[in-house]
Amino acid sequence: MSTSPEALLPNRRLPGDLAMWWFILAEITLFSILILAFAITQRLQPALFAAGRQALDASMGLALTLSLLTSGLLVALAVTRVRQARAGVSALLLAALGSACVYVWLKLSEYAHLLALGLDVEHDTFFTLYWLLTGLHFLHVLLGLVIIAWMAVRAWRGGYHAGNCSGLESGALYWHMVDLVWVLLFPLVYLIEAGP
Amino acid sequence: MSVRALLACWVALVLLSLATVVSLGLPSARDTLLVLLLLALGKAWLIVDGFMELRHAPWPWRALMLAWPVTMAGGVAGAALL
Repeated sequence: MSTSPEALLPNRRLPGDLAMWWFILAEITLFSILILAFAITQRLQPALFAAGRQALDASMGLALTLSLLTSGLLVALAVTRVRQARAGVSALLLAALGSACVYVWLKLSEYAHLLALGLDVEHDTFFTLYWLLTGLHFLHVLLGLVIIAWMAVRAWRGGYHAGNCSGLESGALYWHMVDLVWVLLFPLVYLIEAGP
Repeated sequence: MSVRALLACWVALVLLSLATVVSLGLPSARDTLLVLLLLALGKAWLIVDGFMELRHAPWPWRALMLAWPVTMAGGVAGAALL
């Protein structure tokens, strides 16, 4: 029995491998718990969260967002290029890797800044949740870097073709899931104040 | 998706991200919260339908992936306002 997405619903196509979609659902469920925990705790301790947020820079959050979104675009363009049987896929993936590395560099700078101020995971409830939420996302970004690098090498070796790019699509979907989670984390962690 | 559609998607995502920071200047905290969440939902929709290519995917998957940001935004708004 086939378990491909096309076999389950023949009229519309689900990109990537079905297993990747189940993985993505599991991951966003995990993030759901932390996001709601952050939002509810913020409602219970608004002053503490407002004070903690003073140590964060919204422009840094914006720069992090733009680097991730740009990387997501470059990965999506790489998938399109494979389907069109055009060259330059590995170059696009390397550019995506570079943009993702900008995110990593910026995030590590922010983490170093907070640690220098003594705002570590044990400082208070805000920073416990901040480190948990952004740290978990950061680990997903690091895994994404490995996946993109792997896809770039495979593309360089000619491993993807118009009729055989499910692996590339699955890797791209993972990376877009990282983007999707971040666009919710950015306002929640850096910007939104609780209060009636 | 076509290259042109992906680029349009990215431009929209960048503009929404810039609007997110600009909206901090709104006078009311409640309005700011709602605008921030609507902008986040706009970005999530662009990623799901554009980058993830779910616009023409089987509807249960598209519904699931679009329901997630809506549920999160609802949860955040509910926790902040109730």
